[in-house]
Amino acid sequence: MSTEDSGLVKIALVSCGSEYAGVQPEFEAAASKVNAKFVYPEIDIASIDTIGRDFGLEVASGDLRLMMARAKAVVEGTTSVDGVFITTCFRCAEGAIVRNEVRRYIHKHSKIPVISYSFTESTSAATLLTRLEALTTIARHRHLLAREVQTGLTAGIDSGSTTTKAVVMRDNKIIGKGWVPTTKVLESAEEAYSLALKEAGVSREEVQALGTTGYGRFLVGNHLKAQLIQEEITVNSKGAVYLANKQKGPATVIDIGGMDNKAISVEDGIPGMFTMGGICAGASGRFFEMISKRLGIDITELGALAVKGIHENVSMNSYCIVFGTQSLVNSLAKGATPEDVAAAACYSVVEQIYEQQLQEVDVKEPLILVGGSSLIAGVPKALGQLLKIDVLVPENSHMIGAVGAALLASGFVEG
Amino acid sequence: MSFLAKVFIYPVNSLILADLVERFGHKPLTIMNQVREKVTNISLDSPPINITPEDPKIGLRYAAIEVPAGVRGRMALIGPLIEETEAAIIVENPPTNFGCVGCNRTNELMKYLVRSKGVPVLEVKYPEFDEEAHDFVNKIATFLESLPKEKPEEDEKAKEKEPAEKEDKK
Amino acid sequence: MAETKKEEITKYIVISSDKVLPSDASMKIYESEFPVTVKETCFGLIVTGAKEDVQAVVEKIRQLDKNHIFVKDRGFPAGDQRRCRASRGGGPRPGFHFLREEVKMLPAIGAALDELEAKECVKEKCKEKSKLKISDLEKVIEEELAR
Repeated sequence: MSTEDSGLVKIALVSCGSEYAGVQPEFEAAASKVNAKFVYPEIDIASIDTIGRDFGLEVASGDLRLMMARAKAVVEGTTSVDGVFITTCFRCAEGAIVRNEVRRYIHKHSKIPVISYSFTESTSAATLLTRLEALTTIARHRHLLAREVQTGLTAGIDSGSTTTKAVVMRDNKIIGKGWVPTTKVLESAEEAYSLALKEAGVSREEVQALGTTGYGRFLVGNHLKAQLIQEEITVNSKGAVYLANKQKGPATVIDIGGMDNKAISVEDGIPGMFTMGGICAGASGRFFEMISKRLGIDITELGALAVKGIHENVSMNSYCIVFGTQSLVNSLAKGATPEDVAAAACYSVVEQIYEQQLQEVDVKEPLILVGGSSLIAGVPKALGQLLKIDVLVPENSHMIGAVGAALLASGFVEG
Repeated sequence: MSFLAKVFIYPVNSLILADLVERFGHKPLTIMNQVREKVTNISLDSPPINITPEDPKIGLRYAAIEVPAGVRGRMALIGPLIEETEAAIIVENPPTNFGCVGCNRTNELMKYLVRSKGVPVLEVKYPEFDEEAHDFVNKIATFLESLPKEKPEEDEKAKEKEPAEKEDKK
Repeated sequence: MAETKKEEITKYIVISSDKVLPSDASMKIYESEFPVTVKETCFGLIVTGAKEDVQAVVEKIRQLDKNHIFVKDRGFPAGDQRRCRASRGGGPRPGFHFLREEVKMLPAIGAALDELEAKECVKEKCKEKSKLKISDLEKVIEEELAR
């Protein structure tokens, strides 16, 4: 959310089951936090009987047909909304089919931002907050997101769960960087920011605008009086296409962070569909840290090792950070080379991302891989092998959030 | 008003079925009464229908954990009705419905549970034109008239006691 | 358990009658002096109040044209914020569509009830006329046993 005042955003809630799963109040709570309001598009009741045919998807459940009819009302403009939130029960196959197709349909036929999610009775407002924040930002700040060039002297801080990154930029160039492990959110931010300022040779007072993102964005942003406090979906999309110089047209951004991953489908630098995974540590930077430790190497050496290995030589029984690591250790005991083990670890992570996250995102080239794990050379290699496409890792790919924040913050530079 | 049999109706919110059951002197078991209990419970604040994450857990009584939360939450409303059911009227191919009966998986489950209870069940087609409506009403009237007219008094008393006991347990 | 509010109920009265208009019915309720809240809708009335009052009012209204006035319970009280179209942000409440479909069928259901009632009358008359004599009953029993 930007610190500049922002109006109420109308989000069409296209859902099945949320009222009966006990999560509706959580949805409402998350929406009100980002100053959004859910609306329920008006539909023509007669269209319900034929919507299956019109849409080409015939399903038995009335509420799912209602979802299609509501999506149609949004696309045809009978109900005017700023965004759409599509959601159905987790583990419902019928619901998942409709959710995906409705999402594609809206994406294809309109410019309205859409997010989709499947819930259980335990889904909380906190889980939904980042998603809704991204959705409302896209709705509110298309003009801000249209920025392609960094101007003036700005800084960005990405307060992540594992590391904190800071950059200082001047006239479209990175002039200072700081990268430290996150211990205490504010102290780490101060440290990373100081490093970046020192390298850039400027003082805090000279910085014209500051943007913050990541888990600690609110705390850090409020402490440092940032002009922009923004979730990472929006910032990373922008940062990725900026660093990869692919600002126009479609792109897919995959961000493998320390604790969670994001897969974002981007069009002209604006995020469209996206998924966030934060359920399993086995698909995160944490997994690489553990493997590095077992191999007795520094995490920075893991990538080079993995590139030399062949993942097929090691059999992994699980993606789990505990059992998967055990498989790798067993392989070592059976005589597998550290190279093969490193390669298998990289493959395990990307395979899990592929199976759990990329299914909901249309993967369009270029595929831009960012986040700390993108520096482990085995990861882009494994991802390329799996998807059969070239994977782009831009320079400073681990600084993606900080760069994106500094770039967007320059929208607040006067003059 | 004293009612004879407790009749489960499907769709659970049908005006026509609820009305006919009551008209012929029985008690319709409807979702509306369940919803009322929820929405007028002032100790809860979980709009719109006061279903909280606890309800899908109550629904575990009727469906396993792998069944979606929305189905289990709906079953938390409908399941208790099925437990009370003494007879049932199930309408085939009713018009498209939303809300608590907007999930076909829940509908399949509730109909199955009712049918497997071993109580008298009337299955009728939803009328599409006037003549069918006559047949529809006649079948329902005949079915309702065939249901036991009176219950042994003791049985009634025992039934009345039951809910009170249940609440005590809570 | 001592909550008096628990006994508040709401009923939907759907009027599909040539003789009675929703406005007639609501006038009737106002005249009746029962302490209930009445809301007129496009289909009929929503009545909220104490259980006994609502039941009495509903019965009174139903008798105005009993085969063409239909009643069901409603979960939410009349005009409840949580279900109100305006505060919900457009789009009718979930039960609305189905009710609309059922309302279309009510004239036929009403006609069927009229017919059923007419038949019942004939049946009852027949019964009166043909009370079995003991001797006839014996005959019937013998016949049945012989089968």
